[in-house]
Amino acid sequence: MTRGAPAGLGLRAPHYREAWERRPPLALVEVHSENFFGGGGEPLAWLERFRSAYPLSLHGVGLSLGSADPLDETHLERLERLVRRFDPRFVSEHLSWSSVGGRHANDLLPLPFTGEALEHVVARVVRVQDRLGRRILVENVSRYCNLPESAIPEPEFLAEVARQSGCGVLLDVNNIWVNAANVGLDSRAYLAAIDPASVEEMHVAGHERVDGLLVDTHGARVDEAVWTLYREAVRRFGPKPTIVEWDVALPTLDVLLEEVARVAAA
Amino acid sequence: MSALRDSQARFLDDIFGDGPLDSRRAVYRRNVLANLHDALAATYPVVRRLVGEPFFREAAERFARAHPSRSGDLHRFGEGFGQFLSRYPHAAGLSYLPGVARLEWAVAASFHAADPGRVDFERLAALPEPERVRVRFRLQAGAHLIFSDYPIAAIWEANQPGRDGTPLRAEGEDRTLVFREGLGVRVRSLEPLDWRFLRAVAVGATMEALAGDAEFAVNLERLLVEWTGARVIDDFALDGARGVAAISAARG
Repeated sequence: MTRGAPAGLGLRAPHYREAWERRPPLALVEVHSENFFGGGGEPLAWLERFRSAYPLSLHGVGLSLGSADPLDETHLERLERLVRRFDPRFVSEHLSWSSVGGRHANDLLPLPFTGEALEHVVARVVRVQDRLGRRILVENVSRYCNLPESAIPEPEFLAEVARQSGCGVLLDVNNIWVNAANVGLDSRAYLAAIDPASVEEMHVAGHERVDGLLVDTHGARVDEAVWTLYREAVRRFGPKPTIVEWDVALPTLDVLLEEVARVAAA
Repeated sequence: MSALRDSQARFLDDIFGDGPLDSRRAVYRRNVLANLHDALAATYPVVRRLVGEPFFREAAERFARAHPSRSGDLHRFGEGFGQFLSRYPHAAGLSYLPGVARLEWAVAASFHAADPGRVDFERLAALPEPERVRVRFRLQAGAHLIFSDYPIAAIWEANQPGRDGTPLRAEGEDRTLVFREGLGVRVRSLEPLDWRFLRAVAVGATMEALAGDAEFAVNLERLLVEWTGARVIDDFALDGARGVAAISAARG
């Protein structure tokens, strides 16, 4: 039997006050890095508090690692400032892109899985790690289509990014499940393709079915099928720190803590 | 790099265009436009309340297509929404709306701004007279001065949560100061004298220049005590020494 994984929460602003007053037992608190890019004010004051009570994970959504545009040095500088100030346990970003030609979609868009994209992403992960002076984690994203030019299977692409850049993997189990349904991946084969030594953190979240597709809304409880896949992931990768993400239609903190408890019990 | 760039450029063109998309790419278009709408709605709650959600949604979508986000930090998206509204034909009858939007952008920027400091009066007092006259005060990073021909501060105030939307004044201009008091953002309508004074500080007037203004001169002590006390003025620099620190002038 596996011991339960250290369970944490993606903490969002509407829950700051209650979470601080109750100080629930959490192995990790994860926040979106970009929400703390300002010079001061409430966001950074809250982050100071939570950092004093919990190990912290800075999860970026806007660096656009896979973009053909040059890396945004201003963005990287703000991230670096945050990392140096808060000394988080993890710093992570997504295996995706969101901008080209200076135009940002502010979404996690799918990369074509080509040799060119692989080489590009690896070089950028190396740059970011050099700049931050530490290893980062890269997360697999949900997607709704296959790009015709893709030549490398998604899990192999992710594994190669980690192997060649030396970054860790933040494995989002819900995203594997969603992609398996949407574009016909084999979720078990996905887990098997990832080197256990590379996985440092996992995510679970809720999805919703819209027009025959599973949409990664982060707006519902974790699906039972995802919990089943998560238990398999824990068997393969060990009890890695795992975050429950919920971003839209936020429920009460108690509901989130129930989901966190399921991570620990999985 | 060209294949990757071409592929990404096509993808964004699809998302931001209005051509038909298959159901899979349509998910991306929906998600992207919804995220950008939500970001604008978070920054502009009063504008949204004033015009209602259907109007706001349409305006937000047109704005997002015409003025794409330029940063991976979504908090930086939407600065030009006030200017967009000033030229938006459907808002032509709502002449106060662009000013309210500029005020809301300032509130959002102030929320994330560096915390106010405090003027070091001992250092100031220790300066020899010839240096003291060359002092330039500095406004806190969260300070914004916004002028409007319409009572935007009153409208903003009346449309905060729990208020019924009826402004105390329905006409007349507003000289609005947005600033940080500790971690909280404050919005104040200023008297013309205080407005002119803080504007002068914002654009880098020296102590000598401030004292040389007849109206400022007779009120200088009160102005300095009040605005340094509120930490709206939170620092100073010597003219010529390390330049003038970034001045947070009025937006727009």
